[in-house]
Amino acid sequence: MLKRILYDFKNGLWRENPIIVLVIGMCPTLAVTNTVQNGLAMGIATSFVLLSSEIVISLFKKFIPNNVRIPSFILIIATFVTFTDFFLKAFFPDIATSLSLFIPLIVVNCLILGRQEAFASKNPTRRAIADALGMGIGFTWVLVLLSAVRELLGMGSIFGLTILGSWYQPMVIMILPAGAFISLGVLVGFMNVLKRRGN
Amino acid sequence: MEKKISKLVITLTVIGIISAIALSFVYQWTTPYIEEHQAEAQKKAINAVLPQAEEVKEVEKAGQTFYEGYDSNGNRIGVAINASGPGYQNVIELMIGVNINVDKIYAIKILSHEETPGLGARINGDEFKSNFVDKEFGDYDVVKRQAKTEMEVEAIAGATISSKSVTSIVEKAIKQIQSAYGGGA
Repeated sequence: MLKRILYDFKNGLWRENPIIVLVIGMCPTLAVTNTVQNGLAMGIATSFVLLSSEIVISLFKKFIPNNVRIPSFILIIATFVTFTDFFLKAFFPDIATSLSLFIPLIVVNCLILGRQEAFASKNPTRRAIADALGMGIGFTWVLVLLSAVRELLGMGSIFGLTILGSWYQPMVIMILPAGAFISLGVLVGFMNVLKRRGN
Repeated sequence: MEKKISKLVITLTVIGIISAIALSFVYQWTTPYIEEHQAEAQKKAINAVLPQAEEVKEVEKAGQTFYEGYDSNGNRIGVAINASGPGYQNVIELMIGVNINVDKIYAIKILSHEETPGLGARINGDEFKSNFVDKEFGDYDVVKRQAKTEMEVEAIAGATISSKSVTSIVEKAIKQIQSAYGGGA
């Protein structure tokens, strides 16, 4: 059993990583990874929503009729997203301002609904928790890596701290949407090469 | 069939009610903090655009809120208002403080915007905002070189639209203040 849970946890970190392998949840991946602070905050917020809704849905899956499972999942997800939105606005106003409308948009992040449909609604709660943690951390580390590359090249800083000196001419394109596509494409390609080597 | 539909309705209703109850508690819990942050941000913005004001009074005129700044002797030294208008991607909101005694702008502060990071977002930089410091009221020209006359505003390189948007919001705000306070008399 423990082995099973460990397998579920590690699944999201690498083998079925939501961003680089499943390629889902692209809206926040492309939109908010312009600074490390945004990427990290979005990763944590999404992981929180994913974990809480997977727990609730796997607990109550027997009571949800099949015909209305999608609207039920969305209602539950939306409740946790609204909670996150209020919570960030109240206690982390700076993060709430910089992520603004991308927090409410977590509702429609297909990573979250996808995991409910594919995993939480079919598996026991402890496996759902392992899956949510793995997928959440897997989502977060890629967001952080992506935003670190973009912030470093686009602004010469990491976490708002200037790393590259004044000699560095920032590549503005890296913090614009086009930079998100370029760096995500390179990252996915690089990961595929690594994987092939591993096999 | 009928029994089945009622089950669907009941499930969704129950989830909806539980969500609503839970969220109304969260709402009650977080609202005071959220309002506090907003009031603080507003106060900071007023202080930034009316630097010499010791006391600020809120005045309603023609459906618009004006913030009047008074010095320690009780003289009115300036007026600030919130103003907004379309930017390059979304609405730009700013706060402007003016000296209505000599018809000059004290300063502007950008409250919210969604301009392009690195380009239009520089409307929030001191270099661009300083264009408006101590500027006389009037119609401004946005120029793509160094501003030479009093009525010129130097655009941000690569962000002419954002620069023009801010300038026209400022012009609009000045007109509002002038019409509320008697044409700068």
